[in-house]
Amino acid sequence: MNVFPPMQSERLFVPFMDEVDGTLCLPANATASDIHSQARTHRLRFPLLLDAAKTLREQIVATTHAPASCRFGPYCDNILGMNWRLPSGRIARIGERVVKTTTGYDWLRFLLHSGSRYGEPVDYVLRLRPDCGFTAIARFHGDTKALHSCVSKLLHSGWMHWWDAVDYITEGKASFIRVMIHCVPEEASIFAQQLEHVAAATSTQLTLQNNAPPPLDGLPDLVIKTTPDRVIGLSAELAHAARRSVALCYSGVVHVYMNDSDDLTERTQALVQPHTAELHTLGGDWHSRWLPATPPTITESAWLNTLEEAIHEH
Amino acid sequence: MLTSAAQLAGYGADGLGYKNHLPDAVVIPADAEELAGFMRGAKALGVPVVMRGAGTSLSGGPVAVQGGVVVHTSALKKIREINTEGFWCEVECGVGLNDLDAALKPHGVFYPPDPSSGPVCTLGGNVASNAGGAHCFRYGVTSNYVLGVEAIMLDGSVHRFGGPAGGRGPWREDWKRFMIGSEGTLAAFTRFWLRLLPLPEKVWTFRATYPDMKTTEAAIHALVAHSSYPAAIEMLDPRGVAMVESSQMACGLPEGSFMLLVEIDGPEALVNARVQSVAELLRHAGSNDVMFSDEDALRQKLWKARKASGGLLGQLSPSYVVQDAVIPKRALAEVLQLVYDEADAANIRAVNIFHAGDGNLHPNFLFDSRVPGELEKVELISKRLMQRVIEVGGTLSGEHGIGNDKSAYMPLVFGPDSMRLQLSVPAAFNPAHQMNPLKVFDNRHFIA
Repeated sequence: MNVFPPMQSERLFVPFMDEVDGTLCLPANATASDIHSQARTHRLRFPLLLDAAKTLREQIVATTHAPASCRFGPYCDNILGMNWRLPSGRIARIGERVVKTTTGYDWLRFLLHSGSRYGEPVDYVLRLRPDCGFTAIARFHGDTKALHSCVSKLLHSGWMHWWDAVDYITEGKASFIRVMIHCVPEEASIFAQQLEHVAAATSTQLTLQNNAPPPLDGLPDLVIKTTPDRVIGLSAELAHAARRSVALCYSGVVHVYMNDSDDLTERTQALVQPHTAELHTLGGDWHSRWLPATPPTITESAWLNTLEEAIHEH
Repeated sequence: MLTSAAQLAGYGADGLGYKNHLPDAVVIPADAEELAGFMRGAKALGVPVVMRGAGTSLSGGPVAVQGGVVVHTSALKKIREINTEGFWCEVECGVGLNDLDAALKPHGVFYPPDPSSGPVCTLGGNVASNAGGAHCFRYGVTSNYVLGVEAIMLDGSVHRFGGPAGGRGPWREDWKRFMIGSEGTLAAFTRFWLRLLPLPEKVWTFRATYPDMKTTEAAIHALVAHSSYPAAIEMLDPRGVAMVESSQMACGLPEGSFMLLVEIDGPEALVNARVQSVAELLRHAGSNDVMFSDEDALRQKLWKARKASGGLLGQLSPSYVVQDAVIPKRALAEVLQLVYDEADAANIRAVNIFHAGDGNLHPNFLFDSRVPGELEKVELISKRLMQRVIEVGGTLSGEHGIGNDKSAYMPLVFGPDSMRLQLSVPAAFNPAHQMNPLKVFDNRHFIA
């Protein structure tokens, strides 16, 4: 029994700001400052930003996670809907403006990081979070063993849910841990106390920068997704051949920043190659703007053909 | 394999209850290999295949509407690995949700989705319907925690989408995204890799009552923006309160009140510092009846009305339909009023017990399916409700799935292009609709 006849047109999102739900719909080419200026009026924030100047779309094409994914999950858990331009030029609505949905198949998460293979986003619906007014950046320094122990201590306790980010950063041969906290000013001392406790327990040196801006690392050249227990070792290894690597410790993601050169494709390929078999076994992956997408298998090609027929149909 | 009428009787319906469709047979594979063999045989024979965990879903999902074989996955119930350093576990699809919780607890980690059917439901059913629960407001739903899915296609081929690392694996695309919440319409699931979190150290539970919807709504709006990030914000309306208070589960809630149940959790020092500000928020919004505790026994008492209400519904009425719409929270009062007005006009009892923080409504319509015309009245109310839900920017289902209960409303959600995309997904994996036909989209009819 069909209760309702088929719709004749798409129910597209119209840009909006819903301060009650903490949702914001804006063009995919919005920048961090565009998002910030609309959200902060309502004491809200979008914590998953990597670069001040690049568009949100560029950030999402570059990686699936940001440092604050430690607390808030990947982009696909924080982008609720899209207006999506199909190759035909027609625009389809993908996803919702509410956080919870199990209505139909999840095209949102499938398309979000697909680059331009199936069209492009026109607008995003973002899930915002309360802006509590106080941000601080803690840095832990120490030898490798102490830093490993420090990450473990930060992640394996009930505090893990409350760090905005726990990142293991390697630049050249030097590594340190960066923790971002965001809270109401009245709670700052409680967070500081816990950070001092971790430093004391792991023999690391803590420096705390209060009222610091959230870190904007920029868009990575290479992103590798592995498991949280392997991410620090992998990140440190990759950093030897790069300018910098940032391991998003709970997310199991490494952001690699390469030195400028003419052979980035070859160098990126060389970085990934030794790890491909293990990443396949673990169900991990890699992504880089310098590398072509993984070619589909025969089985996958058959599924893709069916989807592409629907995507390309006028 | 079960084939006798007595054996099949238990597989005719899910938690929805009143729609009964007996399968022709039920098979209980011993392991994934046997299941793969069965799938190849089913494809060759051309019989519909319906996967089923514990059958607790509330949308008519794991039911053989077109006959055929129900595959009961109760034998695939191994917890294969718990990896606390990597924050993941590997489980078979028949593992019970609460059994997993119990196994994880000694390791100091937990798997957050917590549908109220936890004592009986299986992870296979949870993944198939993208289950949620009371603590989704902060922790999210099943799709936020599935790192990988092992799926068996109708041709018996076994594929792993993702794994402990939660990425694409060797595939170009992230196929697990389509698998999660696909309600058994694409493939049979056998194994999952799930993301874990450290257990919160401390939990405080709050119960507050309000005289009207306006003040309750104000409290909800303030809570969702509060820096304590509540884990749960649950609501029971006056009709639910009356139901509880007139039962043996009465707990002294004021007559005619709206009840809010709120939970905050986290590290002890942090959560304890937040208690007074949450209590003050609840009072400031208009409650002069705020109770809170961090003691387990008292917390269970505060949860009592919320937990008892689900069971009482079944006692009060031979049949009930529970809807699962999600709406922007600014529309809460308006849509609840629509539920009351429509139900009262049709002389159908309606009780609202729901996840207010998510705007995830669960209006329960109590009726007797044996009385001619009653089901039609409920369907008409549901139709008007869903129409309004979509008009205010909401969606049909937040955590129960579409099944065959809400499939008729899908044209309200998807326009011509997005509908074409939707239908291309089963066309890719299960083009003849042999897997769970007539679910999610009601034109998914299997022709052998």
